[in-house]
Amino acid sequence: MRKKLKWQTIGTVLGETNINEFFFSLKNYQAKKGDIVATETNVPDGNGKIISVTVWGKIMSIDCSNEWFPRQAAQELANEDIDIRDTILPTTRDELICKVSILGYTKNNEDKLKLLPLVYPVKPAASVNYPHSNDVEKLLISDLNSKHPIFIGSLLARESVEIKIDADNLVSRHVLITGMSGSGKTVMVRRIISELMQKMFPMLIYDIHGDYLGFVQKNKQMFPDNKVKLFYPNLSIKSEDKEIIYTLIEKLGKPLTEPQNDYLNSLINKVKYEESSLIKYINKLIAQSRDYIKDRNSKTKGASSGMGHIKAATMFVVNRSLGQVVKKLISMEQTNFRHRKKMVNLKFEQLPDAGTEPEKIISKGQLSILYLKGYETLPASAIVSILSESLFKHRQEVEEEIPPFLTIIEEAHNFIPSRTENKDNLPSVETIRKLITEGRKFGTGLMIVSQRPARLDETIVSQCNSHISFRIKNQKDQKFVRDTSETFDAEDTKQLPALANGQGVISGQVVNFSLPVQIKFDEQLLNTDIGNENFISTVEKWDDKETVKLRKKFAKDFSSISESDQRRPH
Amino acid sequence: MHNANNLFINYMDKAVHGSPVVQANFLKVILKVSETIVKILKHENLIINLNYEPGKFWPAHKDKTVAFVDGGLDKTSFLSSAPLTIRAGSYIVNKAAKEEFFTQQKNCLVDLYDPDNELYDFIDDDNFEDLMLNKKKDAARIIFEASALVNHIQSERNIDLCFLHGPIQAILTPFTQQGFPPFTKLAAEYIIPFYKKKKMSPEDRHFINVYLECVKFIKKSPFPIYGVVETAVSAAYTKNLLYSFKSKGIISEKDYRETIDTIIKYRITDANLFEIILKKNQALKPIEIQKQFYGNKIIQRSMWDDLIEQYPKIFMGYVKVTDNQAPIRIETLNYPSNLISDFSYILAVSKLLPNYGYPVGLNVVDRFVKISNWMSKASRNYFTTHLLKQAINNKDKNTVSLALKILSKKNRAWMNRPTKRRISR
Repeated sequence: MRKKLKWQTIGTVLGETNINEFFFSLKNYQAKKGDIVATETNVPDGNGKIISVTVWGKIMSIDCSNEWFPRQAAQELANEDIDIRDTILPTTRDELICKVSILGYTKNNEDKLKLLPLVYPVKPAASVNYPHSNDVEKLLISDLNSKHPIFIGSLLARESVEIKIDADNLVSRHVLITGMSGSGKTVMVRRIISELMQKMFPMLIYDIHGDYLGFVQKNKQMFPDNKVKLFYPNLSIKSEDKEIIYTLIEKLGKPLTEPQNDYLNSLINKVKYEESSLIKYINKLIAQSRDYIKDRNSKTKGASSGMGHIKAATMFVVNRSLGQVVKKLISMEQTNFRHRKKMVNLKFEQLPDAGTEPEKIISKGQLSILYLKGYETLPASAIVSILSESLFKHRQEVEEEIPPFLTIIEEAHNFIPSRTENKDNLPSVETIRKLITEGRKFGTGLMIVSQRPARLDETIVSQCNSHISFRIKNQKDQKFVRDTSETFDAEDTKQLPALANGQGVISGQVVNFSLPVQIKFDEQLLNTDIGNENFISTVEKWDDKETVKLRKKFAKDFSSISESDQRRPH
Repeated sequence: MHNANNLFINYMDKAVHGSPVVQANFLKVILKVSETIVKILKHENLIINLNYEPGKFWPAHKDKTVAFVDGGLDKTSFLSSAPLTIRAGSYIVNKAAKEEFFTQQKNCLVDLYDPDNELYDFIDDDNFEDLMLNKKKDAARIIFEASALVNHIQSERNIDLCFLHGPIQAILTPFTQQGFPPFTKLAAEYIIPFYKKKKMSPEDRHFINVYLECVKFIKKSPFPIYGVVETAVSAAYTKNLLYSFKSKGIISEKDYRETIDTIIKYRITDANLFEIILKKNQALKPIEIQKQFYGNKIIQRSMWDDLIEQYPKIFMGYVKVTDNQAPIRIETLNYPSNLISDFSYILAVSKLLPNYGYPVGLNVVDRFVKISNWMSKASRNYFTTHLLKQAINNKDKNTVSLALKILSKKNRAWMNRPTKRRISR
């Protein structure tokens, strides 16, 4: 603050001010929207004294007008194709009026900047100054008292001002990251992960698209002290969770009637779950059911198995449904396998049992990525639910087998959909609700990432204390952001549709006040194995596989046969 | 006379049936006059066609330095005070040189009721002061504008064209009235810095004298200066044209007299006539006019007549910018040496303000020098508070009552003021 005298004067406060905002007349080209500005004023200190303070504010909007340029002149210029620079019309007298939202004040006689809420209006006609970048940086982290600030980018309006956010609040108090596809969400998450890895903070990512596989590739090169583990799901559940089969049948198979559910219940009670693979268990249920059907169709009419009261048709339906579920689960596993196979340079491991070996997933300095590509919503939700619940239990226990960790949920609308989406029975919704309300106590923070915030569960979203939003065009999503985030002001939400890639507004407990930010892009963390979205080039280089070539070749011969065949079918 | 009960019906009847008759007669007369005037104009070859090709015009004229001059005035007044704020300013532009200057050349803030005010000598006659108030304000504005022009000529700035918002020479009659106060010595010297006489008599400092000095100086300007009047309410051009024809013996004294009478009776103005006669992009060549004496007839006799006769004649022309607007009056103290070029400039610069049809630069400078509302409002508020405070501190009931009367601008507001009367149950 001592350097304030050297700050450049960029304008003058206009006549009417209050404690929340003021307007000032700006010199041409001296500041931009989103810039932090300061002005000096006097406030009563509450002890009968008047003290000199610096009031800080953020430029929310800039209106420009040329009072001496008549509207009708514009019409004539347009109609007659006249260049205004040739005419006598004034072009140098633009009046720039900035609206400033007041962030607070700092005392001039204190070395440490502590931002306090302004309780007395700014002095009209005071000079408005453009503080030095390092003074702005000091202000931005002053109030957070952050022991672990992490660098994420620069102030949108001023590249020289580095933005740091508070890592402690980030990992414990839950963050929501929203924005359209390609707007910069993943760039932001990668940035945060990079910084937290340097602090050896454990993280778990539920990665649907493989956006974070770059960390595996650059593990040794960029993070030599960290471990990056890449897992694929193992469809295993605990015996107490075996009821998930009902949901699986409902979502993946054919919904069951009451008698059919009763029969399934008898089956589940009969067949012991051995906590291995879910597919194996369902296959065992199918085998057991087949035995019951056999018995039902025998002379004893099911008397020996005690299933005589159940109709054979009911048994068939349940059997068929279980068969469908197994088939789909196998198909998803295979799809995931095929995707993994494409990335020959990456080493995938089967997800260890979180119940018995949680340290293999969460340990100091480790980043674990669970690759969920290929899995449909329900199984993926079940996997997320079971794993998160298990790890959370370990944190709840007195022994604390695993350290505090951060969970990152990508494409979160798949796991925590809003009630209006009618997907209330997804197991992950309940688990994450529990985690987000109790997680803070146990050091299990959540980072929720979604391109459709309006489709997220409202309870979960309301628990996110910090919000980072990138470009959002969808009106519903904009409204949702406006309504749910207490820390965003109206001007912030107005600029959401106009943000460019990598530009976002960050607000909440990780920063002092809402800030428009340009996120630093870590290009080296892109996953080079899965390539980019340059499909045109992919097609240009496309060559059919041998089987496809042969099929195409023989298809001609076969079609000539069918064309020559003129006989009527039998 | 009609029964009062039928007043409304009769009023409507007049509007529907009576007015059109009057209108038709007016149109008939104005058409007849215009037909005659067109013939005279054509005979004298006074109508010129101006070329308007903005795409070519503006790039070719962007290197011209053009000055636009106007004066702004705040006329706030109360019973006990007459604050006057005047400023004259200019907008000087040269686009090729990327220069746009807004300058405030002359300004003044006085209270005309103050015996020690620096603008006018104080005449100790309350009734007379009151009557003179508006004239004093007008004279001050006119002289400040003229002073701004003098300032430009003196500054030796390289100006190609200069425009004044208003006539190049004001009508002097209102200021010839006996008792119109002279400017103070300070004011006279401020208005024309070179107007220094060792012993300046009150006559020397009188508006007619000071303004004459300005006008003479302006006439010697090295660059053309045009006064532009957008609402011409007189028929000076027409009357002078007819007078010159009568002088030449082309029309008889009788015809001249009757036509002038008709013009006066029907209040036909130049603007009315030339709106009919001229087409857009046409102009009337300036003709010489003795502005203070229409057709050699002195408007009003006064002690200043001899001096008034020394005022130079002016040249008056008209430019019609658009079909929908009345033509604008152009006045100058010298016959334009580049008539077509200068009038084309006036046309082009007025085309940029198509709905008003007068030079856009004058619109710009008008906004610049205007005494803003916030300024006059603030001064009014300050005055009100001050007056009331003084009255209340005085504690005399009658003084407070007088203060309230002064503040409630109109009598009706005063009559309806809230009183202490108890509400009857």
